Amino acid sequence: MERLVQNHAYSVCSVPKLPKRLPLCPTRVLRLFSSFRHVINFAVPASAIKVDSLSKSFPPAFGGWRAFLQPFAAPTSPALCGISFEVTPGESVALLGTNGAGKTTLLRILATLLVPTSGSALVAGCDPVRDPAAVRRHLGHHAGTDLGFYPRLTGRENLRFFGRLNYLSDGVLRTRISELAERFELVGALDRQVRTLSAGTLQRLSLFRALLHRPKVLLLDEPTRSLDAIAASEFRRFLKTEVHLHHGTSILFASHILPEIEFLADRVVVLNEGSLVAFDTPSALKSSTGSSSLEEAFFRLTGHYVPSPEEVRPV
Amino acid sequence: MTQTLRNLLLFFERDLRIARTYRGPFVLELVEALFGAALFYYVARFVDSPELRQALPQGTSYFAYSLVGFVFFDYLNAALDTFDRSILEARDAGTLEPLLTTQVSLTTILIGSAIYPFVVTTLRIAVYLAWGALLFDFPLRAANWLTVVVVLLASLLAFSGLGILSAAYLLLFKRGNPAKWLILGVSSVVGGMLFPVSILPDWLQLIAHLNPITYALDAMRAALLNDAAVPSIARPILILLFFAVILLPVSLATFNWALLRTKVTGTLTHR
Repeated sequence: MERLVQNHAYSVCSVPKLPKRLPLCPTRVLRLFSSFRHVINFAVPASAIKVDSLSKSFPPAFGGWRAFLQPFAAPTSPALCGISFEVTPGESVALLGTNGAGKTTLLRILATLLVPTSGSALVAGCDPVRDPAAVRRHLGHHAGTDLGFYPRLTGRENLRFFGRLNYLSDGVLRTRISELAERFELVGALDRQVRTLSAGTLQRLSLFRALLHRPKVLLLDEPTRSLDAIAASEFRRFLKTEVHLHHGTSILFASHILPEIEFLADRVVVLNEGSLVAFDTPSALKSSTGSSSLEEAFFRLTGHYVPSPEEVRPV
Repeated sequence: MTQTLRNLLLFFERDLRIARTYRGPFVLELVEALFGAALFYYVARFVDSPELRQALPQGTSYFAYSLVGFVFFDYLNAALDTFDRSILEARDAGTLEPLLTTQVSLTTILIGSAIYPFVVTTLRIAVYLAWGALLFDFPLRAANWLTVVVVLLASLLAFSGLGILSAAYLLLFKRGNPAKWLILGVSSVVGGMLFPVSILPDWLQLIAHLNPITYALDAMRAALLNDAAVPSIARPILILLFFAVILLPVSLATFNWALLRTKVTGTLTHR
C-alpha cells in the first residue's frame, strides 16, 4: 500500500474539485467517474500487470527433412527464466536489457501473441492465456518491428478499421482521430496512402493506433525508434503528461534509450539473458549499485565491463 | 449478432477499398471471362457428337455443361485459396499481429476476410455466364435463381471448411499446401467439372462421391440448366450441408489449435 501511495502521489494532487450540484444525468455521472478514475484506481490495489514466475522457451528451428519429421519438438531455447514483477495501476515501468534479453518476448506474452512455457501473468486482472479476449479489451500494443498497416489504405482508413475492430463508434473515432492527429502532428499524413509515409510517420501512426481506444494498459516495444529527435521528445512528453499522468494509463515499455527511461519510467525492470536482475526506481538502481548514471548501473547489474570516464571521453 | 455482422462487413469494406486502388484488373477480368466463355463454346462445337449428348443430362448442351462446371469449380478454388491467402497477406503486411490484438474473435477475422473474395468469385461467375448468354446462346432462361442462391450458399459453407483447414496448414508449415493441391487435382478429375462422373471407373466414382464439389456441380447444373426447384435437388443440397456441419467446426478447431501452436513456438509471424 505504501508503494501504491508513492506511485500515485500525482493522482492525489490531480483530484478535481467536486461540483456544487451533483445531477444524475448519465453523461455527467460518466464524466465525473472519468474525472475520478485515478482515485478509483488508487482505491483498488489491483495490479495493472502481474507477472509471476514467467518462463518461456522456444523449440529449436529445424530445416529440411527434420522440420517435417519433428514439427513439434520440445522447447529448449530459454528466452525468459521465471521472472516475477508487478506494475501497479497508473505506473510506468521500463524494460531494460541487452538484445535477446527477453523484453519483446515478455511484451508479446502480455499482448496475447505468445503462450508462456510456465508461470502466469495478469493484465488488468485478466489472464492472457486463459482469457485473451478480456486482456485485449484493456490493452494497447505497439510492436517494435512490423508496424502492420494496409499499405494501399490511407492512415485514416487504417485507423478507422482497427478502431472499429475495438468497438469504437464512428462518432468517437472521428473525435479521437482529430484529437490525436494534432498531438502526433499527423493531420497532413492521415489522408495519404500508408505506403507513401516515412518510417517515422508510420511509427507515430502505430502509436496512434495503440492509444485510439484509451487502453488501461499500454505495451510499447521501443516506442521512439525511427522517430527523429524532436518527434521522439514530443512523443515522450505526450506519453508522460497525457497518457500516463492525465489518463492514468499503466505503461510497460521496452527501450534502449536510457534518458528516455529516466524520463518516463517510475521503475525499471532490468533483464539479462531472460532473468530479472533488478526491479526498482532509476535512482534506487543507481544508488544500490554505487553508480553515477543509469548506464553505469545497467552495466554493473548485467555484469558488463564498466568503462572509466577517461575511456568514454570523446577524442 | 448485429455487432458481428458489422465486424464482418468491416473486412469487406477494407478489401473493397484496397481493391479500388487497383483499377486495371477489373477490366482485364471482364475480357478474360469473354475469352474463357468463347473457349468453351468452340471446344463444345468441336467435340459435339450423339454419344456425348447421350451421356449428358437431358436437354443440356456440352457448352452449357462445361461452362457451368468450369466456373463453379472456381468457387472451390476460391474457398481453398481465400483463407490461406488472407493469412499470407496479413503476415506479409505485418497486420496479422495487430489484428489478433483487437477485440474481434479469430472466427470473425477469418470469415470477414473471406467475404470479399467470395463476392468477387460470384461476380466473376456472373460475368462468365452473362458473356455465354449474350454471345453463345447459354440458356440463362432455364435457371431457377432461388435454387442457384441456395446451392451457392450450401457450397460456400461446405468448401469453406476445406479452406480453413488449408489456412491452418499454412499457419503451421508456412509455405505450400499439399492438401490444397491434392483436393484441387482430384476434384478437377473426379468432380465432374468437364465430363459426367458416370463415365469414370467405379473406384473413381467412389472418390467422387466423397467430394463436396461433385454434389455442388450436380445441384448447380440442375438449378441453372434445368429450372430445378429446391425440393427436387434436396439430396445434393443436404449432402453439402452435411459436409459443412462436419468440416466447419473441425476446421475452426484445427485453425485455433494451429494458432495456439504458433503462439507456443513463437512462429506466428515467421515466413
